[in-house]
Amino acid sequence: MNKLYDTIEPSVVNEQMLQKAIVEQGPQGPAGRIAQQEGIEYIEVTQLRLHFLNILKIDNLWQFTSLTKLQLDNNIIEKIEGLDSLVNLVWLDLSFNNIEKIEGLDKLVKLQDLSLFNNRISVIKNLDTMLSLEILSIGNNLLSELDSVIYLRRFKDLRTLNLAGNPLCNEENYKIFIAAYLPDLVYLDYRLVDEKTREAAFAKYQYAIEEKKHNEAQEQKAKDEKEKLAKTLQLHKDAFVEYLDGPQLFNSMFADDADAAKLASLPGVPTLLESYLYPAHYSCTQLFEVGLSKHEIRQKEVQTLFTCHREAVTDNQERAAKIVADFETIRRQQKVNEIMNTADNDMVDAMIDQHNDEITHLYEALMTLELQLVDQLEDIIKDFERNITDMSAAFVEHVQGVYPLLCRDLENHHHEKLLEIAVATLERVAKNELEEELPDDLRMLFVDKDTVSNAISASHDTHLLKIDNREDDLITHVHKWLAEMMKTLHANEGSRNRNRISEIINYTDYVREQLEMVLTQEME
Amino acid sequence: MEAATADQDNEGVALDQDDEVQVDFAQEALDELDRALSKVKIDASALTMPDKRKKLYKWQCPQSYKRSSLKEKQLIALAENFWRQYTHIYPDRKPLLLCPLNECGVEKFVSTTLRPTVLPYPVLFNWEGCANFVSDFLSLEPLDPPTDPPRHLYSPTHVLQMKRGSCFDFSTLLCSLLLAAGYNAYCVSGYATKDVCLLNLARQECPLLAKNEKDKTEKQAVEVLKYTVKPPRDLSSAFERHQEEMRQKEAQAARLKKQQEADRLQEELERPPPDPLFGLRVHCWVLVKCGAREVPEDFFIEPLSGKSFSTTDQNFLGVESAWNHRNYWINMQDCRRGCTDMSFDLGDPIKWEYMLCGDTSQSLLLIPSMKKQEFEDDDEEKEESKVFQMPPSWVNELNISQQDMEMRFPGGVKVIQYRKAKLEKFAPYLLRDGLVTRLSTYHDLDCTEVCVVKEWYQHRNDHLEERELRKAGNITLEHFRRGRSFALKHHRYVTLTPDSDREMEFYSQARADGLARRVGKGLEMIEFFEDRPDFLFYRHILFGKHAKKVTIGEIAEQGHRPLEKVVERFHRDTTKPASEDVAERVFLVSEERIQVTYHRDQDRIIPAWRNFTIPQESGDTQQKQTFTPDMASTFQVDPFEKPSKNLFLYEMLMALMKEEEKVAQRIKSSEKEVRAILDLRQYEETNIELHISIYNTARNDKARKHREALERMAEEARLLQEEKELDYLAPFLAQLGDPEELTRQMALQLRNDCLAELKQRLIDKANLIQGRFEKETQELQQKQQWYQKNQPTMTKEDEDQYLAYCSDAMFRIHILKLRLNRHKDRAPQKYLALDEKLRRDPRLALFL
Repeated sequence: MNKLYDTIEPSVVNEQMLQKAIVEQGPQGPAGRIAQQEGIEYIEVTQLRLHFLNILKIDNLWQFTSLTKLQLDNNIIEKIEGLDSLVNLVWLDLSFNNIEKIEGLDKLVKLQDLSLFNNRISVIKNLDTMLSLEILSIGNNLLSELDSVIYLRRFKDLRTLNLAGNPLCNEENYKIFIAAYLPDLVYLDYRLVDEKTREAAFAKYQYAIEEKKHNEAQEQKAKDEKEKLAKTLQLHKDAFVEYLDGPQLFNSMFADDADAAKLASLPGVPTLLESYLYPAHYSCTQLFEVGLSKHEIRQKEVQTLFTCHREAVTDNQERAAKIVADFETIRRQQKVNEIMNTADNDMVDAMIDQHNDEITHLYEALMTLELQLVDQLEDIIKDFERNITDMSAAFVEHVQGVYPLLCRDLENHHHEKLLEIAVATLERVAKNELEEELPDDLRMLFVDKDTVSNAISASHDTHLLKIDNREDDLITHVHKWLAEMMKTLHANEGSRNRNRISEIINYTDYVREQLEMVLTQEME
Repeated sequence: MEAATADQDNEGVALDQDDEVQVDFAQEALDELDRALSKVKIDASALTMPDKRKKLYKWQCPQSYKRSSLKEKQLIALAENFWRQYTHIYPDRKPLLLCPLNECGVEKFVSTTLRPTVLPYPVLFNWEGCANFVSDFLSLEPLDPPTDPPRHLYSPTHVLQMKRGSCFDFSTLLCSLLLAAGYNAYCVSGYATKDVCLLNLARQECPLLAKNEKDKTEKQAVEVLKYTVKPPRDLSSAFERHQEEMRQKEAQAARLKKQQEADRLQEELERPPPDPLFGLRVHCWVLVKCGAREVPEDFFIEPLSGKSFSTTDQNFLGVESAWNHRNYWINMQDCRRGCTDMSFDLGDPIKWEYMLCGDTSQSLLLIPSMKKQEFEDDDEEKEESKVFQMPPSWVNELNISQQDMEMRFPGGVKVIQYRKAKLEKFAPYLLRDGLVTRLSTYHDLDCTEVCVVKEWYQHRNDHLEERELRKAGNITLEHFRRGRSFALKHHRYVTLTPDSDREMEFYSQARADGLARRVGKGLEMIEFFEDRPDFLFYRHILFGKHAKKVTIGEIAEQGHRPLEKVVERFHRDTTKPASEDVAERVFLVSEERIQVTYHRDQDRIIPAWRNFTIPQESGDTQQKQTFTPDMASTFQVDPFEKPSKNLFLYEMLMALMKEEEKVAQRIKSSEKEVRAILDLRQYEETNIELHISIYNTARNDKARKHREALERMAEEARLLQEEKELDYLAPFLAQLGDPEELTRQMALQLRNDCLAELKQRLIDKANLIQGRFEKETQELQQKQQWYQKNQPTMTKEDEDQYLAYCSDAMFRIHILKLRLNRHKDRAPQKYLALDEKLRRDPRLALFL
């Protein structure tokens, strides 16, 4: 026996092998004949069996993108590879091979049934993407760590698991451990997980499991929270008022400003800052609220447009569809009648004319409907554009009206006050009247008046720049959104129109063709 | 021996003495009894008996019905006074109904005749239930004469028993029920139209019909959104349209006029002849005032019909007085315009004159806090106590038995004539087919041409609930409850033969195939489905004509008509792309073609389709003719899509052919089902059975039989027990010739005989024991003598025998001695016990 195996050459999946398998496993009987005449393309194959072929290396499978079931069992495969393009795979059998490591399965997200039975795998890993896994057979391998089974908790749909024949099965609490950590499991190692085992598992591992569950719940919660935050931020971004509800703007103003931080330690400055930040924050929050409410109104407007648009299109479609359906039923009936009574040539001619007229009539009717719809939609889109532009403009105006008043004025005011304090301090420094020691870096500023005022105005300029930038950002975002929105609207409308017209032409051409075909048959 | 007899004699003497004393006692008791008896006789002679029924009733009447209490007498005096004043001030007003006679001929004030009683029936907890119950339960005795209030006002208990009464009885009963249910209800005496007084509903629409019309007139307005598209420009001439409109308007106006004219004529025709007693007919109804039980505003309940009216209804022409269980008010308002602008604020002393002063006379609309304040101001509590309070009702608690409640209508049947309709109501289980309501509507006023007969059933085992028979077209429409075989819901048919036109509706959720409706019409059959996993919702089947040649083999298959065309339609399955999701399949069986139409894509107006021709079977090879591409024709919506492969088309055709077979099978089973349903219906209609709940003890035959069997067994056991207790007086009575009634003489003799007999028996028994004792001792003595004689010659054995015998005999003698002693002890006790028993005996007790 050994000799026999040794004589067979290890092979690679190649064209010839595939062709043979496809023909063997393809349709049989009359269907097979037709298939042979036509030829089968790899892309159409949904099931493939490549077992007992002494395959060492998986290759050349990249064309089989619609494959759902692949059997590669009883070969001598050592490495899982070349399966990345088989994204539709549901059933994969790699049992009885020489695989040592699970890898190369990341792209198979639809996989439900995976068999790795009788290999040399020692660790369960790299299966994270298979979220719909239901059956996993990994018996007769080299798994030794019982804790590695906890990895399988992530598969919520896993119901059947085969671990028999692994070293870990010899561990004392093997069954109970698995029943405890995989509570949804129905079958383990060819057997039903019975109620008794479950109870025992619950009794033994209750605390461990609960802790685990708690941790998982915490993680899930954190994830949800994060998602929620991201969602709110997206909403704020859509409303163009992101980061205006909190202190972020002012924090960023002071974050990039080293001098301001130094100056903050001057006597009287903290209170000044307080009196500056509080109203500034308040005004920003107000702006934020306004932004959100305006966003809601805009959203509603857009929704209304979409609803009406959809209604109009559906209505029009229904009418057009009815016309076509009526025409089609008449056409089918008449074709039969025509074949029945074609005694007279003149009659045939008259019929052709009549049919051609009818087709033209249909074409015109459909085109009229489409044109009507185009007109109607154009009207409402124009209306919408006008309204939404007005709304956006109003919002921008509001921002421009409120923003400088609130922020810039406050900043200017703050600047003046700060300057005053600085000058006063300078004088005192000059007279050495200062009670407490100034930090060194601050003392550096107060060498003369110019340095101080320069530092302060520099800080003021940074602040102003930040404020201006935020304003510009907002306005550009609004304009960009508007432009994009209108663009997509028009584009969608255009493509819809083109599709419809091509559809109409396609149909009328088809009908004409059919008519001619019938006629030529008659002539013969 | 001697000692024993002496003892007995002593005993007998003692007993005799005892007897003497007891007889004396009895004598005394007897004298008393005699006197008592003579009293009883006087009582009985006091009864005077009018007609039989009333006597029976009066016999059961409680005292309060026959007498008036002191308070009631005061009240009647008050009422008398009130009435005198009233007649003095208003000599031309009609007499008031204040103190009519009750069924025992005693004057009772009307307010005390009201007896609020809560009854344990949930239907009587709201006014609709009460009103309907009263109108159903009682039958009307019209007032005679119709222009005067009645002289009698019976108690509600009496009315409930008789199940008939005048409008005043109706109102009293209804008002009692409503007051108990917590309504602020009043009896109102006044005047009403003839139709109302005589319960003539022939001029009214049936309420059951009116309800149906209401359901239809409900529609929702469509919301117009901001960006709704404008309709395409209308290019027709505005002038022409205007002209057309004008023309139509004229026609409409003319039609309307005609209609109105016709209506007017009709109305004239229907108008009742003028009533000579209009405005004089006395009537009594119930007023329910707002305030309690969330009643939003005052309304009348007409107790005869059980309907509610607004207080301004034209049928009520005037009000004399109103009362509840607390007080009595006289209307001081002008009734010339009926009740249209009458105020029912009974607390208003200008509009309503109260009879009893007190808090009940105050306006019920006053805010409670104000009321309280008034009380506080009013410190003279003495005056409060002087206020005469209405005495409690003299009527017993009302009681309606479960059986009466179920029967509901007098005799279980009630017929009401409405305008162009007749309503018949029956008590449940009264009719064998379970009919409870039948509504017949007619085309004409005289009710001769039947239009629609609608029947409602209850407790039918075949779950039939409603049946409607439309005379036009002779269509029957049946409605079934849930739970029938095949989940049948509606069935519309002309006849029950399988080939006729019909329409069946089903409870689709209860069916595995989700069938909701099946319409059979000539050679067509249409089936509608709901919520199927394969999204099928419609199947239209066109049958071919029956094959003329009917062989014997085909008889079994009868009804299976050959298929000509089957159309199946499917809903959109969103998991599939539209171009692969079948919308319609047409199997042209006779033409051997199959047409498949797919769903339209979201923004498409033309669906894709495939037409197949079924390959012919070539006879010899038994194999289907090979598939050629021209057997299938395809239209693809998207011209850029690759045309499908032949293999795909071939497989699809094969699948469709299989489907066709399956569909044919399904249609066959559908036809079979129709026939099964019809057969079942026919059977059910011929053998109607009513369902009886296991909780229905009165009607559940099985349970009743079981209960009766139990009762019978108990009875038998009792009889057995009685037999065991033999009548100890029987032989003595027989000696006296079993007289019907005992005289004292006889009783005494009986007692003496009985006691003597016992004494004799006791003595006999003692003698018997004595005899045995003597015999035993004699034998023993003989044996002893014999032993002494033969002692030397006796063997050891014989000696032993003798000794054993001796000890035995000694034992027996000892026992007998004991027995005798005990008997002697107990004999006097037994004697006394019998004597006691005789005194207690129901037959003798009277005399001893």
